[in-house]
Amino acid sequence: MKIKNIAFGKYLTAILATGILTVGCSKRLDIGPYQSIAENAALNTEGDVLVTLIGAYDGLQNAAGWGGEIMVLNDLIGNSTNINFTGTFAGLNDAYNGLMVSNNTFATSTWNAAYSCINRANNVLSAIDKVTSSPAKKSSVEGEALFIRASMYFELVRLYAKPVGDGDATQNPGVPMVLTPTRGVTDADYRARASVKAVYDQVIADLTKAESLLPSSNGFYANKWAAAAMLARVQLQNRNFTEAGAAANRVITGSGRTLNPDFTKLWFTFINNAGSTPSEYLFAVKVTAQDGTNSINTYFGRTISGMPGTAGRSDCKIKTAHIAQYEAGDKRNYFVLSGGSYYSMKHLDRFGDVPVIRLAEMYLTRAEANVRNNTSVGAAPLADVNMIRARAGLAPLTAVTLAAVTKERALELAFEGHCLPDAKRLQTPVGTFAWNDPKLIMPIPQREMDVNKKLVQNTGY
Amino acid sequence: MKKALLQTLVMWVLMSATAMAQSITVKGKVTDESGAPVPSATIQVKKSGTAVATDPQGNFSISAAPGNVLVISAVGFEGREVAVTGAAMNVSLNSDTKALSEVVVTGFGGSQIRRELTGNIARVKAKDIENVPLPSVDQALQGKAAGVFVNAQSGKLGQSVTVRVRGNSSISASSQPLYVLDGVPITANDQSSYGGDMNPLTDLNPNDIESIEVLKDASAGAIYGARAANGVVLITTKRGKAGKTNVSFNVQTGYAEATKRLDMLNSEQYAELILEGAAYRDKLDGTPITDPNSWTAYVKNDVMDYYSYGEWSKNPKQSYDWQDVVFQRGPYRQADMQIRGGSDKTKFFSSFQHLEQTGTMIGNKLQRTTGRLNIDQKANDWLDLGVSLALSRTWNRRLPDDNAFSNPLQAIALMPMTPFNDPTTGLPAGTPPGDVNIPLYYNPVLTVNYARFTQDVYRTFGNAFAQAKLMKGLNFRTEFGLDYLSQNEEGYFRSETVRNQTRASRGVGNNSGTFITNFNTQSYLSYQYNSKLHNINATAGIQYQESQAKYNSTEGTDFPSNSYTKIASAATKSGGSSSQSDFRFLSYFARANYTLMDNYILALSARIDESSRFGKNSRSGFFPAVSAGWIISNEKFMRTMPVVSFLKLRASWGQVGNAEIGNFPQLGLFTGDAGYAGNAGQRPSQLANPDLSWETTEQLDAGIDFGLFNNRVTGEIDYYVKKTSGLLLNVNIPATTGFLSQVRNVGKLENSGYEFVLNTQNLVGKFKWSTNVNLALNKGKVTDIQGQIIEGGVSTMNRVEEGYNVGVFFTPEFAGVDPANGNALFYKNTKKTDGSRDRTTTSVYSEAQRVVVGDPNPDLIYGFTNNFSYKGIDLSVFFNGVSGNQNNIYGMGRYSSASMLYEDNNTADQLRRWRKAGDVTDIPQVRLYRVNGSQASSRYIVDGSYMRLRNVTLGYTFSNDLLRKAKMEKLRVYVSAQNLATFTKYPYWDPEVNADSFDSNIAKGNDFYTPPQPRTFLVGINVNL
Repeated sequence: MKIKNIAFGKYLTAILATGILTVGCSKRLDIGPYQSIAENAALNTEGDVLVTLIGAYDGLQNAAGWGGEIMVLNDLIGNSTNINFTGTFAGLNDAYNGLMVSNNTFATSTWNAAYSCINRANNVLSAIDKVTSSPAKKSSVEGEALFIRASMYFELVRLYAKPVGDGDATQNPGVPMVLTPTRGVTDADYRARASVKAVYDQVIADLTKAESLLPSSNGFYANKWAAAAMLARVQLQNRNFTEAGAAANRVITGSGRTLNPDFTKLWFTFINNAGSTPSEYLFAVKVTAQDGTNSINTYFGRTISGMPGTAGRSDCKIKTAHIAQYEAGDKRNYFVLSGGSYYSMKHLDRFGDVPVIRLAEMYLTRAEANVRNNTSVGAAPLADVNMIRARAGLAPLTAVTLAAVTKERALELAFEGHCLPDAKRLQTPVGTFAWNDPKLIMPIPQREMDVNKKLVQNTGY
Repeated sequence: MKKALLQTLVMWVLMSATAMAQSITVKGKVTDESGAPVPSATIQVKKSGTAVATDPQGNFSISAAPGNVLVISAVGFEGREVAVTGAAMNVSLNSDTKALSEVVVTGFGGSQIRRELTGNIARVKAKDIENVPLPSVDQALQGKAAGVFVNAQSGKLGQSVTVRVRGNSSISASSQPLYVLDGVPITANDQSSYGGDMNPLTDLNPNDIESIEVLKDASAGAIYGARAANGVVLITTKRGKAGKTNVSFNVQTGYAEATKRLDMLNSEQYAELILEGAAYRDKLDGTPITDPNSWTAYVKNDVMDYYSYGEWSKNPKQSYDWQDVVFQRGPYRQADMQIRGGSDKTKFFSSFQHLEQTGTMIGNKLQRTTGRLNIDQKANDWLDLGVSLALSRTWNRRLPDDNAFSNPLQAIALMPMTPFNDPTTGLPAGTPPGDVNIPLYYNPVLTVNYARFTQDVYRTFGNAFAQAKLMKGLNFRTEFGLDYLSQNEEGYFRSETVRNQTRASRGVGNNSGTFITNFNTQSYLSYQYNSKLHNINATAGIQYQESQAKYNSTEGTDFPSNSYTKIASAATKSGGSSSQSDFRFLSYFARANYTLMDNYILALSARIDESSRFGKNSRSGFFPAVSAGWIISNEKFMRTMPVVSFLKLRASWGQVGNAEIGNFPQLGLFTGDAGYAGNAGQRPSQLANPDLSWETTEQLDAGIDFGLFNNRVTGEIDYYVKKTSGLLLNVNIPATTGFLSQVRNVGKLENSGYEFVLNTQNLVGKFKWSTNVNLALNKGKVTDIQGQIIEGGVSTMNRVEEGYNVGVFFTPEFAGVDPANGNALFYKNTKKTDGSRDRTTTSVYSEAQRVVVGDPNPDLIYGFTNNFSYKGIDLSVFFNGVSGNQNNIYGMGRYSSASMLYEDNNTADQLRRWRKAGDVTDIPQVRLYRVNGSQASSRYIVDGSYMRLRNVTLGYTFSNDLLRKAKMEKLRVYVSAQNLATFTKYPYWDPEVNADSFDSNIAKGNDFYTPPQPRTFLVGINVNL
């Protein structure tokens, strides 16, 4: 009897132990991630759409996008006239020397970042009907998403395709266009390049709509004037000077913004202005200690002894030939001599805003359009140029020519990402390269070429 | 059932009664073949708990009855059973020929004598691991287990190690084996947030380990199902032994230094090259070199003079080798205590270890303290209980990752004219208040002096079991195990480091926590039936594992002064995060081994795995295996061949999986990390794939085990084919979708190879010499990646190409230097219509096609050990090596072996550069800041083969009256050297390399200023009481 009890006890122990360990195990496999949510739960409410819009701004802020590398590339490619590039990032060194190859890491990361941002904007636009709290809110959200999408397409078509004016824009390949969010990958997602003109048309349509939808004031997010200013820039590059001048005029007259009387107060936004954006900035990308990287600072900046908060790789040394172009007393001669070389003081501030569009550009755009069209939309071009010169502490000109406007523009906007597109518009050489040299056009990334057989590579790669 | 139990009980009663009635005292001596005494041999009365151990003279005394059987066992000897014939008995033991009689652990309580094994399992014993200066147990497999490739990657302390069992069987999922410690799958992947990957296996004291088994083929691995495709490493810790309590102390001390230094340019050579490059640029620009705006003037004034604090123009011969600053001789100290003993009811093993190791690079230090207690208790005649508990603390002052200016070895890039110390302040160059922009790059010494990053890991390995005998041959065992990893990382970077840590202008501090719980339960029935004809062993059970990983971190900037280093004092709390990720497995497994007449063996095993990692449409996987063996030497016809003492043919087939595919790769996700300017945001982050599942590896293995000359020569020969399908690929998709890739099970690859193991007892008797050789050839080939471009590594030169091994080097082929003009040349290698390649050369880099120019995976890996002993002297000499693999030195090469393209110092071989028309050389002309041959190419893919004298240990064991008077049983002193010599053609520091900043499955063989392995010299003393 006793033996039997022992045996029973053993079996009971075994059965109980197994039972305890296995009960409910199968259900325990249904677990999910903590830092992410299912895509079908992500865009169902107005709140969801609003945070996705923030995500699109975050996409803009990518170091390879408007975090600064787009501006750096636009200033660096072939620009041996103004910059002595001594950095060791091979991708940038190749860009500077006009020796880019198809797997240039900067060409790849900028391409990827721009399209990731575009997909985020497309997600916002696809769910715009969920924004129901007010028609104004819905308009603003839609306008902002359109502004973001258009801006990225504009940057892509400027960097990766032939400029308007070089051959037939309706035939020259631009970049692939995606206007809906991606949820899966089908054959339709392997897209060919749309023509340069088609991309410009889409960008202009998006910005025009954005300008009409956006409010005049929207904190540091995109507002009506940011969209109009971007439209002015796009139309100028599109060689539609009338529309460029008109858009610039709308910004100057409508935005209520004025030039900051002190040129030097436009910079060091974090060090000097505690992070507040100068009102002259029509749009800037915010960089904070929490979030973002100012990539113009990374490559143009330098740690300057006695200027706390300054940082950078000291890669872009400004040539004395550039500095010699400033007239005596020009406040824009804004360089610091350190370790034997000059560095631009516009981008020393690690947490400073990345400037995208300033009001000064609008005056110069309006002036250029008026000179070219021999008009005086908004103001006479001489007045616009002299307004810029006066702020720089220079004597007014008595007459204005296209060359005078573009020289003022080159100095005013130096190292803010205008060198390459301006040269392509003005059809002037960049360093030792002709304005339409294929080496001034970035390659479609090798990775993208390898994945998508419908793409045609740019000449020379 | 009832009857069987009754019988058992009756037998027990009878036996103990007999024993009690007639026991006598048996005295005797245990000796080896030469008649020398065998101390510490265990004498046990069979089927009773009585056991004693021999004294240092080999004598024993035990109570037993005539007719009882004494079981005599001793480490290094074959066990023997002798019937008690009288009161005096002398027993002679034969040296163990090891290989065939050793017991091999097979998982889930299973074990098999190697003689009867039908799967392929490599075993590394305690003796191979003990007291070798290896920080982690995975490195102990290097050169010791056939077919297991180990690359220590770096000379940094506590860094992760690459382990590949029979080649690389995955592209995107982990290729590291599953580590199972005493039945519990443990955390073995990187958990660091700074520097390169760390190795959680460092937390385990290698001296606690009894054996490591590597389950290599599918038959051995299938019991681990979806987790066995990369091999399974079973780690078994030491347990107690009945008999006298043995107390052992071991202390070893020594130092480590880097295995190699590089020959770099001195100041004069540097000036010669850079001025040559500047003159080239001036000529190109049409600027006279005397022009103050010339490149020459820039190089002289703004480079060489500026970065030497003006000293270069005064004394151009003064030169500094920055390796002198960053390499150091690091002391090594280790103390161990082990206590092992027990009675027939309770057995225990306990250990304590403290290790202090200083790196061969400045700023690197590791300390480990571990304790362990393993107890086995026989509760009664049917119930056994046991518990293992190990606690450890590993403290590591870590180095930055290889691709950081603060990596000490990056100091070789600094100019040789830059003094170590700023002459104006006497402080290391670049220290404020001196000029912080000198040297050329950030001085890594500043991070050593003014920053620290420490990692403090507390680890608990715990395991408890109960085993019940349900009836004769049938046992039930249930286990509960836990692996808890608690890690704190803390960094503080003072303002002096601001050039490197741009946020440190007023100090930056960070602190993060990692808490990983691995909870494992398993219960299984095992059945054993033995008869004259049939032997059956079967196991079936269930396993459930739950892993939870929690992370948090905080960061602060703007400290009142450098005296405050905790984030409590930071004015800005600049960062903070917490996150969690879990995975779970529920599994059912079964295994049966059947032996007929000791000649024919059949084994079946299978496992079903369900996991939270698999997609909705493929939640559960089935993994079967079958194997068979035929011991030919037992057949009558073989008795005519006395030379062949053992011969077995075996073959196995099975399917196993790889579930190390990350957590939740199957879901379509948005992630909430896309905030902007203080507002929260979300972004689409992953495309869904509900069909996603494990990768499947089907493996066929055929082998021969043999013993010759009465098993003085034993060996194994294996051939295997591993075919992996359903490879999880991050399938590249057009970036225009907003995503770069989607995870799919689409790829295929295969590995096949041969393994040879040979163990010989060359000399037995007083002078003993034995040799162990293992050698493995593996050929890996990716057969299908559906056109995906999968790249990685330095400048994305590693690539997955169909028809080649995983991660081959894919880059343009360097064709030398044009003697006419010094241009670097590349083969065009454009594919012609007939399929051949255009072998004409070009100096236009973009005209050269990329081709496969090397493979980081070795074709051949080997290890061989010779052990010698004579009287008290023992000597062990262990070599290992790899061959047929290439390394990528482009990481440094593009800057430091680049014809002085930049201002970085260059390797001395660059002096061979082209200078004038007609020069025939392989180093292109120097052109400052104009790329000439320093693009990624085969120029930087070099032979990575090496043979290394991995360990030499010479010991002397005292054995005399003096020891006895001092109550010591054994005293051994030894000297050992690790990595004493390396035979290689590799031009940089160490061919055994894998830069941590780039490491992935496909990015192997990269060097990026990676610290070399340490060469360690130790003296040690081992005392047994």
